[in-house]
Amino acid sequence: MTKALTVAGLSRRHGAVQAVDGIGFEIAAGEIFGLLGPNGAGKTTAIECVLGLVRPDAGSITVCGIDALARPQDARAKTGAVLQATGLPDKITPREALDVFGAFYPAPLKTDVLLERFGLREKQGAAYDTLSGGQKQRLALALAFVGDPQLLVLDEPASGLDVQMRRELHDDIRRIKAAGRAVLLATHDMDEAAQLCDRVAVMVGGRVLATGAPAALIAGSGGSLEDVLLKLTGGAR
Amino acid sequence: MRALLQLTLLGLKLNFRNRMAILYGYLFPLIFLVAFWAVYRSDPVPLALHLGQFLTITVLGSACFGLPTTIVSERERGVWRRYRLLPARGWVFLTSVLLARAVLLVTAALLQLALAFAFGMPMPAHPIGLAIAFTAASFAFLAFGLVIAMLVDNVPAVQALGQCIFLPMLMIGGVAVQLESLPAWAQHLSLFAPGRYAVEALQLSATGTGLSRAGFDFAALLSTGAAGAIAAGAMFRWDKAFAPRRAWLLLAIGMWVAVGLWAETRGLASISAVKDTREVGSARDYAPTSPSTKAVPASWQGVTQADIDGIDFKRLPPDEGIISPLSRGDEMPDPIIQPALDRIRDGLAGWSPGNVSDPVQRARNLLAIAAVPDILQMEQVERFVPRLVFARLQAVIPPRDLPKILYWIAMHPNEGGDRAIHQLGAFGLPDITGPTKPVRGRVMLYAFKLLGRLAGPLPNN
Repeated sequence: MTKALTVAGLSRRHGAVQAVDGIGFEIAAGEIFGLLGPNGAGKTTAIECVLGLVRPDAGSITVCGIDALARPQDARAKTGAVLQATGLPDKITPREALDVFGAFYPAPLKTDVLLERFGLREKQGAAYDTLSGGQKQRLALALAFVGDPQLLVLDEPASGLDVQMRRELHDDIRRIKAAGRAVLLATHDMDEAAQLCDRVAVMVGGRVLATGAPAALIAGSGGSLEDVLLKLTGGAR
Repeated sequence: MRALLQLTLLGLKLNFRNRMAILYGYLFPLIFLVAFWAVYRSDPVPLALHLGQFLTITVLGSACFGLPTTIVSERERGVWRRYRLLPARGWVFLTSVLLARAVLLVTAALLQLALAFAFGMPMPAHPIGLAIAFTAASFAFLAFGLVIAMLVDNVPAVQALGQCIFLPMLMIGGVAVQLESLPAWAQHLSLFAPGRYAVEALQLSATGTGLSRAGFDFAALLSTGAAGAIAAGAMFRWDKAFAPRRAWLLLAIGMWVAVGLWAETRGLASISAVKDTREVGSARDYAPTSPSTKAVPASWQGVTQADIDGIDFKRLPPDEGIISPLSRGDEMPDPIIQPALDRIRDGLAGWSPGNVSDPVQRARNLLAIAAVPDILQMEQVERFVPRLVFARLQAVIPPRDLPKILYWIAMHPNEGGDRAIHQLGAFGLPDITGPTKPVRGRVMLYAFKLLGRLAGPLPNN
């Protein structure tokens, strides 16, 4: 069976810093895979490589059987993403954003369906700069879904969300999984990872130090995923 | 294609929701237009002779500020980083921005033209040529606007760099201040910036002979535009976190320099003669030997060939200059000003101040018709009117008397009446206010110039 994402031997240096150092992992359809690690572990760089925002120095990336380094546009057509540090024009409305972004995909989801699904119906005509932080994050998620992606890449998607919104986000991610889509989730929220992920990879210093189901990792070290992370990073509780 | 179209339409919508964009995109061009209209209100053909200038300012403003501000502000806020996640290449997004900008630019220019027509500007002589020239100018400047957008990281830097290009090109690049008014060094410098080529190409279509004479202007605009587009493409970046490949800037700037050198070495872009902006001076400045060598004649009838020989015609301002300009005999005016010249020529016979019995006053009045456009710097017209006046003087004053009368008027510029200066409405020339002494000074110069041609020292070409 074709994997939704296969990463092998991925390396990327930023100046003197080896941000990602030969990592590899696979994500199957219907699987939620977490990238865990402290700030500076290399999670975001790894995700930027997967999405083609940064070209890796070495390694390979395959999205749904497509060589993402050789055919980045085709790979992006199969991928949806929510990243940190992205934005939209101040005066764009959610409806306009969904309409325009959808025009880039061969079979986009209907704008009305997405507005309904992400609770943006009432704000469909509001300017982006008038939306709350949660509404902006929901719009970012809706835009990630607009191309009906096989692989969803989420970099700290819950940051800035309140408890209610966070819960709704988690429900969305579970629905994606139920629909047979793969999810790559980068987070430093251990509870979130434990609740959502089928498997996680713990990154420290650009390298993957442990991979497995959260329960298996916890069983190996006792306590929680946070303990696993602290143990791997050499931190004290 | 559908995505490109939708993105372009979105760009237009977003622009119209931005009050500052409307202000810069539409109001400023109109303000410049009104300023031109006010400054050149004495032009016999309102605004037509400045169409190249005000359209170039509109394109230049859009390229230096509007386009790069849009791109840089969106890139600053991560919009382009988000665009990059979409399954499309960078050129799609850049093209959509350029298309939207082109629509804004064309509508702003049409708005300017509509207001100019309301002010009385006639239709351009070559509308299709004008559209082509406008496209070439837009290509050249917007390509450089892209270079600015790729080079800088934030909007304040766009404003700073934009001003560094916009203002010099306006002031000494032949865009807002006409080349004829600039010192020689600035005229040479203007060859190294595409502004003057845009003005020339547009103006040739508006009031000139069309694009047939704008070959070099087009070559300059297209080559600088192509170099800018290539450089901007090479410097393109989705995210300000990545540094642009600044070495490519050399290509864009290098092409400006190459075009300038090409123009300088081949003489393809004509430089006006060195301008003489000195004071008109007095009659003594041009006839230094006369008073000391013999008695001053008591009347115009007493003027002798020796008096005329005492004039140093070489001291007169050059015909190509600002003061007392004069067209060459074989030079054709732009077609658009021909009706204005025809009106003056046809009105001369019936103009009563030009038919008074006193031949000196008659000549003085007629010379005022040449002097007033010169004072008002009615470009192009001012150079051709003296030829009409000279022809009329030769028709209404006997050949034997004309040199003497011209000498007398030139040597006595402050004598006689000057009411005729205020009776030029019949020729479509404006009344002038204030002291008439400057006009008398120009009457003196034109009297000298015609005398020089009648007496021989000046070439009557």
